[in-house]
Amino acid sequence: MLSAKQAAKAAGIEKRASRNVVETAIGTVLLVCASVSVMATIAVIFSLSSETIQFFAQPRVTFREFFTETRWTPLFSGSEQFFGIAPLITGTLLVTIIALIVGVPLGLGAAIYLAEFANDTTRRLVTPVLEILAGIPTVVLGYFAVLFVTPILQRFIPNLDFFNPLSAGLVMGFMILPTVSSISADSMRAVPGKLREAAYGLGATRAEVATKVVFPAALSGIAAAIILAMSRAIGETMIVALAAGQRPTFTFDPRETIATMTSFIVQAATGDQPAGSLASQSLYAVAAVLFLITFVLNIISQQIVRRFAEKYE
Amino acid sequence: MSSRTINPPMVKPSRESLLEGEEKARLQRRQRTGRIFQALTLTPVILALVLIATLVVDVYLDTWTWQVTEPNESGQTFVRSSANGWRGVVEQELAARGETAEDVRAFFSDPEEIRKFNARNRVELVYVPRILNDVTDNGTGWRWVVTNNRDDVVENYGLLEGRRTLTDIKANLEDGQLLYLNPWIDFSFFVRNNSGNFWLAGLVTAILGSLWVVFLVVLISVPIGVGAAIYLEEYAPKNWFTGVLEVNLRNLAGVPSIVYGILGLYAFVRIAQLGPTILAAALTLSLLILPVVVIASREAIRAVPDSLRQASYGLGATRWQTVSQIILPNAVSGIVTGVILSVARAIGETAPLLLVGGAGFITTFPNGPLSQYAVMPTQIYSWLGAPAVAFDNAAAAGIMALLMVLSLIYALAFFVRRRFETKW
Repeated sequence: MLSAKQAAKAAGIEKRASRNVVETAIGTVLLVCASVSVMATIAVIFSLSSETIQFFAQPRVTFREFFTETRWTPLFSGSEQFFGIAPLITGTLLVTIIALIVGVPLGLGAAIYLAEFANDTTRRLVTPVLEILAGIPTVVLGYFAVLFVTPILQRFIPNLDFFNPLSAGLVMGFMILPTVSSISADSMRAVPGKLREAAYGLGATRAEVATKVVFPAALSGIAAAIILAMSRAIGETMIVALAAGQRPTFTFDPRETIATMTSFIVQAATGDQPAGSLASQSLYAVAAVLFLITFVLNIISQQIVRRFAEKYE
Repeated sequence: MSSRTINPPMVKPSRESLLEGEEKARLQRRQRTGRIFQALTLTPVILALVLIATLVVDVYLDTWTWQVTEPNESGQTFVRSSANGWRGVVEQELAARGETAEDVRAFFSDPEEIRKFNARNRVELVYVPRILNDVTDNGTGWRWVVTNNRDDVVENYGLLEGRRTLTDIKANLEDGQLLYLNPWIDFSFFVRNNSGNFWLAGLVTAILGSLWVVFLVVLISVPIGVGAAIYLEEYAPKNWFTGVLEVNLRNLAGVPSIVYGILGLYAFVRIAQLGPTILAAALTLSLLILPVVVIASREAIRAVPDSLRQASYGLGATRWQTVSQIILPNAVSGIVTGVILSVARAIGETAPLLLVGGAGFITTFPNGPLSQYAVMPTQIYSWLGAPAVAFDNAAAAGIMALLMVLSLIYALAFFVRRRFETKW
């Protein structure tokens, strides 16, 4: 016969055992949830690489042509087909550079204002403006670029094609502005107050403190922000698909219609390319290049942040 | 943040008086440069504000056009006070088309006939400017008109351009043609089906498509995303696998959205053979917003003070009891805000859906996860790419609708953050 005390103890053990089973099960389920993102990455890499490998396995396509040819016409037929990615790269670069020329100074200006000059009230007013800008769907920005900005630009710039990287880049500059400003402002705020106080003590003005003390001290975060913004500009699709055109041209003239890597992907995918055809596989090859470029930029950006993050601690 | 803001040293007049001549001038110069610089840093914000305002105004103006049409049917407009809505206008129009009172009654009792009528005709309230007094015997002002799919829209001028050249347009008007100011966004735009005729194209299929996709995205990504966040914050041991998860999550957040489209096209549309369906779109978007949901949820969970955790464990609670009864209830407002914001992103996302079937011409209502679809942004994109330029105005109307939906969602997120935020 078990005493009442022993029975209670046994029941407690049993309860604890069942509790442990539940705990382990829940832990496993949560682990599976967390692993979904890893599976997504594997799926991305697998889908890009399998079709890309098939693309390069075609006798018609060579690595040499892919990287040195300056014509990109996979959607044409037969002897008119050329597979040189250069025009897509130059097109992407052109739009990205214009976007950075617009977006980086504006973004840094806004960051300095937010981190150094704004008080609580103005910050509460300014931050939502940047958040709204970041929240505008890119298809809307593309509409604005092609139907508002381009006609205005055409009045001042003769020979400007209706689809051109200039208006796409200008609008995209505003798209990346919030990315630049929020990350840069964070890194400026992380600059210790001691540095500012020392500079004020030496008689520096607010602007001098911002530009000559805080800005250089936050440079690593700013660099990371710019690289991330660049990666976003390279991967941006709708603005370029709508405003920059879909004609791959090997040029650095911002007035000419071009195609970027992303706009080509949209063009090829929304047309009726049969699965397994060269044209459809070329889409994956371009996407693989795009993925690699943005991946490397993101890694660099993270490394910069990590290496310089604890400089002052 | 305010505690870190450092007030600039006040330059007192007494100190300034110590400086003379060149030194004083230099100080004033530096201070002036500083003030100019400070004002300059505000320009990006003003520019951003101007851009947003210009964009909204421009899109709104594009939802009004001056249309010259050659009507196929009655070609009549009816004074606004003559009818109270759809039925009154249709009654007059049918009479004007020469149908007997009996036919009209029969028409209104047959839902199939009404459906057919609505698919081919649009009842709208248009504005006929006073300047046209002598060319239209119908009168001026706000008037009802029924447009038909066999009408011929001869001209479609922008609001401002048309207003400027109204006298010229009037001079060129031919017999039997109608000229009026046409609203692209009205109530019927939201309930009309898509159409090959630009002035009959409506948004209802895309709205239903968006609702379906967002519903499934929330269903898929919220449990997985919140689960992953709980694991990483509360369960994960410090080992190499957790490191991989962390790095992977950061990298996924930086992958361009169109690459997710490629993944969806390959894995869901082709390999899983879902085809260009709502489910394929929802799975693609779920993966796209997963990192955002995870990161937002982690921040919310991290904000719950450690003292609460320790108290819970101290009372003998297990890990899951602590998570489900202490941490989640205290983190829920942050998680909900994060989810609402990622839903906003999913609603506005276009590029990946173009690759998984969103770009098709759809006029049938979606009736389940496996039906074909268009969502609002892809519908806008399709209209912009349509051969008839006037579809651009339908796109503008679609953008206004999309922006309204997004404003509501952001307002909701703002409200949740304000109302339920816990301050520790």
